[in-house]
Parts: sequence; structure tokens; C-alpha cells
Amino acid sequence: MSQYDVIVVGSGAGGGVTAAVLAEAGKSVLLLERGRELSTEAIGRDHLRNQRVSLYGHNAGPDIDGNPRTSDDGRVIRPHEPGYLNNAACLGSGTRVYAAQAWRYMPQDFRMASIYGVPEDSSLADWPISYDDLAPYYEKVEWELGVCGDDRTMYHLPKYKKPYPMPALPLPGKSRVHLKGLEALGWRGLRMPRLINSIPYNDRPACAYCQHCFGFGCPNDSKNGSHNTTIPRALRSGNCELRSQVMARELLTSDAGSVNGLSVVAADGTEEVITAGVVVLSCGAVETARLLLNSATRREPNGIGNNSDQVGRHLQGHYYPGASGLFPDEIYDGLGPGASIATCDFNHDNGDIIGGGMLTDSDVCTPIVVWKSQYPPDAPRWGIEAKRFMRENFRRINDINGPVHEIPHPDGRVTINSKVRDRYGIPVAHLSGTTHPETVRTASFIHERAREWLRASGAIKVWGAAPVLRLSGGQHQAGTCRMGEDPATSVVDKWCRVHSQDNLFVADASPHVTNGGFNPAETIMALAWRTAENIVNSW
Amino acid sequence: MLEPRQVLTLQALVDTIIPEDDYPGGWESGVGDYLLRQLESDLRNCLTAYRDWLDALEIEAERVFRRPFASLDLESRTALLEAIEQGDIKSAWSVDRATFFAQIVEHCTEGFYADPGNGANRDGIAWAMVGFEVTA
Repeated sequence: MSQYDVIVVGSGAGGGVTAAVLAEAGKSVLLLERGRELSTEAIGRDHLRNQRVSLYGHNAGPDIDGNPRTSDDGRVIRPHEPGYLNNAACLGSGTRVYAAQAWRYMPQDFRMASIYGVPEDSSLADWPISYDDLAPYYEKVEWELGVCGDDRTMYHLPKYKKPYPMPALPLPGKSRVHLKGLEALGWRGLRMPRLINSIPYNDRPACAYCQHCFGFGCPNDSKNGSHNTTIPRALRSGNCELRSQVMARELLTSDAGSVNGLSVVAADGTEEVITAGVVVLSCGAVETARLLLNSATRREPNGIGNNSDQVGRHLQGHYYPGASGLFPDEIYDGLGPGASIATCDFNHDNGDIIGGGMLTDSDVCTPIVVWKSQYPPDAPRWGIEAKRFMRENFRRINDINGPVHEIPHPDGRVTINSKVRDRYGIPVAHLSGTTHPETVRTASFIHERAREWLRASGAIKVWGAAPVLRLSGGQHQAGTCRMGEDPATSVVDKWCRVHSQDNLFVADASPHVTNGGFNPAETIMALAWRTAENIVNSW
Repeated sequence: MLEPRQVLTLQALVDTIIPEDDYPGGWESGVGDYLLRQLESDLRNCLTAYRDWLDALEIEAERVFRRPFASLDLESRTALLEAIEQGDIKSAWSVDRATFFAQIVEHCTEGFYADPGNGANRDGIAWAMVGFEVTA
């Protein structure tokens, strides 16, 4: 039995920040990660096994065998199969292979229920904190991990106190085409902020503009994730111990409103009990909920923090409505990472539509991405004409799409399926329900705006499937340990502490009451920073 | 694994799905290597379906052209596969068997357009064809 001040479970966007802040404050920290420590070479460039195209597996975990989930239709789902809602399992988790879009949520995103009212059957609610509460932490993330961008173009946000530490990445040719489209429509545009070095920063080089950013590791270490920013900081402090390939089995409690630590199992099957003064869960919205639900106690027989039946509910991700367009001229010039121009004209104030979302063009698409997801449905699929179509048009096709702010439904949720176990014998996550139908209405509205932008940019043909009702989650999973003042309707308080426990915190996207119309990584990091700083201040 | 005669049918099938033009056809670019590797690993559950399908294709070629599929020219092979795709089949095929063609097409093309590490797209020939250049 080992003793630490803090155990942080999970090394993704939230876990990395938490470990760094606490270790640098002098706390002894154990950082646990269920996946492996992977070099960029080990992640590789397999075009069929990555977070973008996962036909046969994942380059960054989890392993496709031994990690199932189940769904209402009776399927036992493997990590690379549809409906699993996968997030990477390796040191750094999703930040190891993400596209590193670095968005602040908008002030309105924290007040969705107040602004729009609550649709029938929805669990739409305001956050108990505001944009102003998070703004100083957004700034910390931008400067300490390193974000490039142009604050003067962020017209949709309150004025920044400090600019970004690095200028925006250069515009690829296709972004210039879409910029003309914005001008033609009279829509405003901005330069996409990214957790990428546009100039040398933090002793690492500038982006090489390669074609394997989203879905892969960075060839020159200029993409900023937990693995090369916060985790090294935590380790350099001398106060943090990192253990990978260790899976949390169950939280252990004193039965008096606090946790003692947790039981874990290593890849070789070794079981261990680790004690700590504070436990922080950063496992992602599905796995954090699973761990809480798998930790039944006498006082909380349905799982820790779950006496109000809130753990696992309100599961959200992002619908990504969009469309593809075919252009008369070649617009692809190979400059990565790709998407550089975005509009936030449709995140809010869309008439009777609830919320909205940011729209941008797509990152560099590999040929198989174009073949699988950007290929016109009426173009030939085999034979000499199919080959010719790819040859003539690969460099003329581009997407416009973006993440829509979901309207949560309480029955979109994670529960436990004790009949199905993972490789360690731990009951797996069961996924059920859908988002609220209002999400589909918003997504359909955004889908039409994507088509408009493509046409205004000069596309001669536009196509794309209309959004349909489903459950989302995946890399942007959120909402399953909702933040709120009232323990009857939420799991954690405004400091992301589980209501029923003195010393148990959540630092991933699970506390997000709603998930914004943006990629969530920078918000996860900012919120984790605020949570960790509060743990230190109230120690 | 596949019988040698089935591999011959497969080769002609791959080169009908991805024919040679200014750039190599599917087989020369390694799609066969990709498929045979996949049928022993990720796609091992499809092996029986492949064997049955290739045998059925030969029976259909015999019924329509009185010749082995691999001895037909590209035009005839294409016409035969278009007929199969549209359900215009002269021998005894189940519906499942006809729709399995769409899966074979996807398996062949994902090999062709994926990274050379997967066994096809030899020397990045498919990427050179479409203009996908890896610079770093």
C-alpha cells in the first residue's frame, strides 16, 4: 500500500494540467494512465487505424480486444467500431493525436438555459460558473502550454487581456478560397487558434506543416499536448510519479464522506491498493462515470456521487454537421494542419434555433479520408472512372463543418453492464439514449450554413448527409458528472468536487453542463487548472 | 487461405475494380498482398465469404461467357460485375452474395489509397496519382 497526497487518474487534457499544478505546488502526485507511453514512431501513420479512420483499430489505443462497451441494441462493441464513443488511451490521451484546436467557449455557452429556456424533456441548464471565472485559466493554458492564434480576430469573445503568445499558422490555399466565400456572404471570419507552436516555443520547434496532424503524433514535437507540456512539468518538479498501463478498478471510501484512494490493476494482472489524501478523476466522460458507478458503498449503493441518479446522465459530444464541395480549380496545396479560417457567426442568435456552432474548413485529408467520407455519393465507386475521379478531384474537394453545441437529454447516458467485463474483469460501460431532438434541429441549420459557405467559396457541386438523431460522445465526450449547486441535479460542485465526498474531484469534460459549439480541449484544461489551484489553496 | 485458382480470380477482380491506366492497376500496386494479409487477420471472418464469392464469380463467368473470369478482357469483366451489382445474375446467387461485392470494392480501395505500410499503394503510387505529397 503506497501513500500519496494526490492520485490523478488519467493523463489526458485534464489529468496533465492537474498533475502539473499539484506537483509544482509541492504535493506528492501519482499520475495513472491505463494506456501505454507511445513514441511518435510507435503511433505511426497507419491510415486505416487512427482516431480519424478506425476501420481495424487505433494507433493510440485502447486495444481493440479486452475493452468492450455495450449498447441498447444488444451489441458488444469494440473500440474501433461505431457507437463505442472512443477516446485515445495512451500517455496524453487524445492530446497525443488531436488536431489541437484551442477554443475558449463563449460567455453565452455557460448560460444556455437562461438564454434559450429549457426545451421539453431536455436537461439543458446553466453552468454554475461564468466565462469570467474561466478566462484567467484560458489565458494560463494559452501561455503555458502554448497556443498560436490572433486574438484581434476573435470577434465573438470579450477582449483578451493578453494576446496569444504565438502568431496564427499561415493560411493554406484552400483557406484563402473559403475566406473569399466568407467575404461574399458578408460573414465574419477568424484565425483558428491551435495548441501548436507556430514559432519555436517552450524549447520545442515550430510546426513543419505536415499532412499527418489530426489523428497522428507530431513529427517534430511542435503540437502541444499533455505528453510534452504538463506531464514533463509535473515530472520535473520531482513530486510526480507516473505509472502507465495501470487501470483503476474501484474507489475506496472511509464511509464518512471521503475517499481513501483506489484499487488498481496493472497490465500483468497485479492488483494493488493505493491510498491518497485527494483523488482526481480525469478518465474522460465515459470512463470517469464508469469508475464512479463501479464504486458502490454502503452509503452510496448505486455508485459514489450517484445518490441522485445523476452520474452518467446528460452524455454529450458534438454533432459535426457539414458538407463537402467540389471546386473547379485545385485548392489543396498540402499545407498542414489545414483548417485555418472559422466563423462564429452562427454560435448564437440564430432565430428560433437553440445555440449553434462554429464552422471551419477541414484539416488535411488523407486520400482514404476523401474516399471514405468526402466522396460524392453519385460518383462511381469502382472501375476506371472511380480511379479517374480520385485522380482528377482529390485536390479539388474540401469540407466545411463544425461542432454543434448539443442540447442534452438526461437519458443519453452511461450505465454499467455487469454481464460484460473488460480484460481485468471490471464491468463495462453501457451506452444508451440519444441527444435531445433540438440538437438535430440546430445541426440541420448549421449543415445548411456549411452548404452556403461552400457555394459562396466557388464550389460547383455540394453534397453531405443531413444530421439524424443519435447519441454522440467520442473524442469530445462530456456532461456525465454535471457541475451544479444542487446535489439533487448535479454530481460535482462549482469547484468540480463530488458533492458527497470531501476529497474527490473530476478534471475532464464530465463536469461540463453543456459542451459549447467548439472543440473542448482548452476548456477542459482551463477548468482543470482552476480545480487544481483550488485544491492547493484549500489544502 | 485461398486456393491458387481463387487467387487468379481475385487478381482479375482487383484489376477490374482498380484497372491499370497511366498508373498501375490494383494488383501491381499491392492490393492482392493487402487483401491476403487482411484475410488472415482483421478480415479473417470474411475468408469463407471471399472463397464462396470468387467461386460463384467463376460459375457466373462460365454461364455468361463460357470462359474463366481471368481470361476475359477488362470490358467483359466490367460488364459482368455491373450485371452482378444490378442483380442481373444468370447462376444461383443469394442476395447477400451480390451485395458482398460492395464490401470487396471497399476492401480493395482502402488498400489502394491507404499508407504503403498496409501492403498496397506500393511506393506511394496511389498518392502520387492523386497528388497527396508527404513533406514532413
